[in-house]
Amino acid sequence: MSDDSERNRRGSASISGAGNIGGGDYERVSISGAGKVTGDITADEIKISGSGKIQGLARAVRVTTSGAAVFEAGIIADELRISGSTRSHGVAEVKELKCSGVFKTDGSLTSEYVKVSGSLAVGGDVSSEIFKTTGAFRIGGLLSADHIEINLAGRCEAREIGGERIEVRRGGWHQRGLILDGLIRIFTGSSTSLLQCQVIEGDAVHLEDTEADVVRGKRIVIGPGCDIKTVEYSEELSVDEDAKVGKERKT
Amino acid sequence: MHDDNLISKKDVLAQMGISYGQLYRWKRKGLIPEKWFIRRSTFTGQETFFPKDRIIERIEQIVRMKEDHALDDLAQVIRRTIGDSMQIAPGNLSQLGWVDDDLADLCGVDRDDLRQQVSAHVLLCLAVLRRFRAQDLVNREELLLVRRTLDKANEVNGGLIDRLAQETVVLHVLRKRLTAAGISAEISLAVIAAESTVFDPEIEVVDSVDLAGILNRLKLDLAEEEA
Repeated sequence: MSDDSERNRRGSASISGAGNIGGGDYERVSISGAGKVTGDITADEIKISGSGKIQGLARAVRVTTSGAAVFEAGIIADELRISGSTRSHGVAEVKELKCSGVFKTDGSLTSEYVKVSGSLAVGGDVSSEIFKTTGAFRIGGLLSADHIEINLAGRCEAREIGGERIEVRRGGWHQRGLILDGLIRIFTGSSTSLLQCQVIEGDAVHLEDTEADVVRGKRIVIGPGCDIKTVEYSEELSVDEDAKVGKERKT
Repeated sequence: MHDDNLISKKDVLAQMGISYGQLYRWKRKGLIPEKWFIRRSTFTGQETFFPKDRIIERIEQIVRMKEDHALDDLAQVIRRTIGDSMQIAPGNLSQLGWVDDDLADLCGVDRDDLRQQVSAHVLLCLAVLRRFRAQDLVNREELLLVRRTLDKANEVNGGLIDRLAQETVVLHVLRKRLTAAGISAEISLAVIAAESTVFDPEIEVVDSVDLAGILNRLKLDLAEEEA
């Protein structure tokens, strides 16, 4: 086992073989082998490109992970970029989250800008100003943002969605060919790419391939592939001929 | 909680003229507490309800204050609770700009003491007295009565400021004229009571102050000083 960790008072630490470092205040922390940080850590930059585990709370300006990273006591950062697989327990406060890999947290995610092109799993709520995804997600609680843009490329689930502008566009196999999607529908009973949600509320709502109990809003477009039990709208409603709406009510 | 006191989300939006976007934004910023969102299943599907009086009062407050303050400051103000034990540094106090010698006298605060440290309760008293004094409807004896009433209210149930976080209370200054056998006398009363309290028809309500409102303004002033 090679251990090549070093640490100064507010210096930098780097693990490039296998090793542990204690918590503390660093300028840069970089793990490129298999490394562990055993306490709370503060740094300008944390970079994990191998397999890294941070056992304390991680606070940083910038966090980049491209391997497998685990934040066992949460993460607070201005910027989090994920291209590998990252898991977090507890707090997740990230001003800007860009994920092209997998991000999982059992708590809630608080952010300002979220862009996911891989997959996202959040046990609690997601709050952001902007939320853009192309991929799959599972959100246990409320997804709330001013602008929500969901490009369906996989199974998307949230208990509730609320915001100013909510746009859900079909993607995935629909874009690649209806035959393949048809086959998948036959085998799995449903399309691979859809959004399932109990309640969706927004001022401007555009939905495609969405299953929901209730959709409420001012201006609502129910596009192709939707199955909505109840729609309540105050200004405009349009329903595609390839959509199913149980009840509609103007309030 | 009784159903009569609940209002559905869409009724709140219609009644207050706000959008879903605003409501969700305010929720995210912590301006509307999580526990006020009450989810219920109804015949139209799942709906969210709010404690009616509280949500309407809070939204009015946000709409009124958002003109002058950034949303994040507002969140800080509303979320922050000044415990009675919180000491405000004297620098802050003099920077408030409105604590003059007269107010200090009225509050029974030594001017030297002002330069030291003052509890949140005393700050609240200063702000309340300032507000009454500005309207100039209440005389000096009554101002002193207000001061003593605030102190008395602070002695019960873990302090006045804690109570303001839970209920809307108003401080009324009342006068009543008693006439008998050609002799008439006027008495003044200071009452801390619910907003909807009804007084007998012979009572004149001289001036009233919403204590929670004053406290919020005070927090705003202090938050700005810190920023």
